Amino acid sequence: MKVSIFSTCLVDLMTPDVGIAMVEVLERLGCEIDFPASQVCCGQPTYNSGYLKDSKLAMQNMMLAFEHSDYVVGPSGSCIAMFHEYPKIFKGDPQWELKAVALKEKSYEFTQFIVKVLGVTDVGASLEGTATYHRSCHMTRLLGEKETPYQLLEQVKGLQLEPLKNSDNCCGFGGTFSVKMPEISEQMVDEKCGCIKDTGADILISADMGCLLNIGGRLSRKGEPVRIMHIAEVLNQHQSVVSRGGSRT
Amino acid sequence: MSLQTDKRDFSERTLDGLGDSFMRNAVGSAQDSLKTRRLSAATTLGDWEQWRNVGQLIRQHTLQNLDYYLEQLADNVEKQGGHVYFAATKEEASSYIRDVVVRKQATKVVKSKSMVTEEIELNRVLIEAGCELIETDLGEYILQMDDWDPPSHIVAPALHKDRRQIQRVFSEKLGYTGDETPENLAGFARTVLRQKFLEAEVGITGCNFAIANLGAINLVTNEGNGDLTAAIPKTHIAVMGMERIVPTLEEMEVLDNLLCRSAVGQKLTSYITVMGPSAAGETDGPEEFHLVVVDNGRSDILGSEFNEALQCIRCGACLNVCPIYRHIGGHAYGSIYPGPIGAVITPLLGGYDDYKELPFASSLCGACTDVCPVKIPLHEQLIMHRQNIVQQRRTGAGDRLQMKAASRLLSSPALFGRSLRFAHSASRLMSKRGRIVRGPALIHGWIHARDLKQPVKQQDSFRAWMEKRKGGAEQ
Amino acid sequence: MTVSSNKEAFLNTIASKLGRERKTHVQRPVIQDLIPDSYGQLTNDDLVEILKEQCFFIHTQVIESNPEILQRTLDDLIEANGGGIVMTSGDSRFEGYGLAFPEAFVWEEAAGREANIKRAESANTAIIFADCALAESGTVVVESRPDQGRSLHFLPAHYIAVIERQRLVLRSTQAAAAFNRRIQAGEPVGSSINFISGPSNSADIEMKLVVGVHGPLRATYVLI
Repeated sequence: MKVSIFSTCLVDLMTPDVGIAMVEVLERLGCEIDFPASQVCCGQPTYNSGYLKDSKLAMQNMMLAFEHSDYVVGPSGSCIAMFHEYPKIFKGDPQWELKAVALKEKSYEFTQFIVKVLGVTDVGASLEGTATYHRSCHMTRLLGEKETPYQLLEQVKGLQLEPLKNSDNCCGFGGTFSVKMPEISEQMVDEKCGCIKDTGADILISADMGCLLNIGGRLSRKGEPVRIMHIAEVLNQHQSVVSRGGSRT
Repeated sequence: MSLQTDKRDFSERTLDGLGDSFMRNAVGSAQDSLKTRRLSAATTLGDWEQWRNVGQLIRQHTLQNLDYYLEQLADNVEKQGGHVYFAATKEEASSYIRDVVVRKQATKVVKSKSMVTEEIELNRVLIEAGCELIETDLGEYILQMDDWDPPSHIVAPALHKDRRQIQRVFSEKLGYTGDETPENLAGFARTVLRQKFLEAEVGITGCNFAIANLGAINLVTNEGNGDLTAAIPKTHIAVMGMERIVPTLEEMEVLDNLLCRSAVGQKLTSYITVMGPSAAGETDGPEEFHLVVVDNGRSDILGSEFNEALQCIRCGACLNVCPIYRHIGGHAYGSIYPGPIGAVITPLLGGYDDYKELPFASSLCGACTDVCPVKIPLHEQLIMHRQNIVQQRRTGAGDRLQMKAASRLLSSPALFGRSLRFAHSASRLMSKRGRIVRGPALIHGWIHARDLKQPVKQQDSFRAWMEKRKGGAEQ
Repeated sequence: MTVSSNKEAFLNTIASKLGRERKTHVQRPVIQDLIPDSYGQLTNDDLVEILKEQCFFIHTQVIESNPEILQRTLDDLIEANGGGIVMTSGDSRFEGYGLAFPEAFVWEEAAGREANIKRAESANTAIIFADCALAESGTVVVESRPDQGRSLHFLPAHYIAVIERQRLVLRSTQAAAAFNRRIQAGEPVGSSINFISGPSNSADIEMKLVVGVHGPLRATYVLI
């Protein structure tokens, strides 16, 4: 199966380990990987800030970048959810509407792709430790994908998963929200950190780097000894592979 | 009180909210308990999603045919001897009501909680006309006694106050000598207000839904004050936002179920009443019934991109799940309509001049959209507001420059590639031990509270890794 | 006095915002059946159980009685409520079941507004017969009539509703549909239709539930 990787700008720039883990897991599951190099960003930061016209440029670039892909898989429910908004944004645009629909139909978040397209829940990963999972808002609500991360994590040998209180509450990232309304965002991430601490977990897992950079950055600032890992890194913890460890904040 | 409850800057109001630890505790625990109660009440209905779909269908159908249903409503109210007044503006609405009260030579007026009467500044108008006006909803009464402190929640207006504050207000203003238990405070209010109901000449209520084919209004309450307000005084004036209407009792029943469960997690509230002008032979209820239908900016929303905001049934569920409301509280919105729905409708009713920050007070987490019983796409409407605000060039010049630059960078592979090369070295100047400690204003807020590691070197980026691999494979 | 003076302009504005002419005919959308199928098979006994369970949550006492001992049940309840003045509706079922309460007021058209309200306010206990009752939400449904005012349900401190078992239906869906059939057939309905589910209550102070605010402090349903 041919899979085009959508790395997302955060992973590309800040946490390449996550992208590498994703590629290695997908390859182990038999996928043939390619990386259309003209991809940049889904356009969400400017779109969510109200700069519709400007964000369309980024979106158009992405539609072209993945035009010839069979499947597009990314390590972020939020960025994939943005792809899923394209048909609405380009509705009635003769040049782009069909391309937008096509991109939506072949785009999957990483865990969603593994469970729903590849039909796999046990990727053979093992990781000793106690973890809690932060469900990102865009993945659960906008993309509507609630279960696949849990289905995969439940199969990771040695991993104990602790429920997170108020798991539905946003961590305060919200893209540009975190820099435009920093006082509110800070209180939100602070509360999230408190809930994470209460689980007693030593690993925080999520499927979105935005949330992880936000929560991880706050945990680190507060000196909390919780390690953050993207779910791709967890699923890539494999006996035959040298452990890369979690990404750092 | 008008739509606007606080003229200070949004940032000032926010800091006030963030600094009020009692309020934040109260809101947090209220949210947590209401969320659980809502969920359990929703699940007993069968397929909640199906109920939401029907709720949405009913609201959209009614809005699409609003002129027809309002006319039918007016005809049916008048057939029973009631009066209907259509008010295009808030001034028209409140003057009409003042005129009715003055003509009845009434000086004692009781009110039952109504958001729209806040919007039309009815309390001020009636007090200026010399009336003794009493809010009878317990929460609203507490706020009135505390010199008209603004409400902070659609359903629980005094959520921001604790029992000791309430005890102090009652003792200073009403001579209350009891303790601070909610039971005794409520019991005291019952005694005081019972007398007010019995003396009142005019009762004023809001309206959850008007029923077009019956010519009646529907009130949904728990305290019983709405019913007493409409049963005892000889004149009842009901005030409704023009969109709050259903074709028949069957649609009302669906919406009331959605409302009660979404608002307070009850199957039905204690009192759901369908009422109109008193019928022949009935000895209580209003001898004179007025229904005031208020536009006040709503028709401008109708048929616009924000049309769906008019589907709102004022259940407050979006407040109860909103992580922003959770931390800043209702007063920070500076409007009688707080929370996500407030951030959508306040700028529509009050304009961007005063409210252009509200649509940005959201992380777009979508919790509000998810919970809305009539499926208003709240977070999408916030984005539409942001687009309007950007288009009208109401965002700061700095913001515009940053966003324009960002959009160029994020849409051009060449520029992005080049910036990858620069990002690491540029951030080195701002970093200590791999963590960014200084930077452009844009990231001040971020690094104030969080560590941020430096971007990786270009040769360590993910795309560089992919290219190296590809190169390796091809060789 | 001006009635509906602004009506035409107001409604024309709406039509124009909706981008069309005024509507003179509208077809209501069909509301699909939202009640789970499993509810279709419920017996009257099942409904009684559902009602009792729900009443536990809404702070309402349910007493199972029967026509033979109804007078006794009600007398006991009145006494348990601390005695005092009783006010009943003028419902013919009081006579039908042979009920009599010495020194009780009856809501009656002839007494007029002031006297009826004053009596209700002085009463410690109100007793009425439910027109129908909704099991799922623990609700009694009553209409205003010349012999049953609106404030009778709200002014006395204690509220007793007698529910004849055969008048139990599952939920508000059935009651609303029944009312709407009457309305569409042009039959009169009371100017106030009350769906009453237990005593008055409020959580306006610190979200703490207080039972008994403006309306009754206590509610009891007597099933016969």
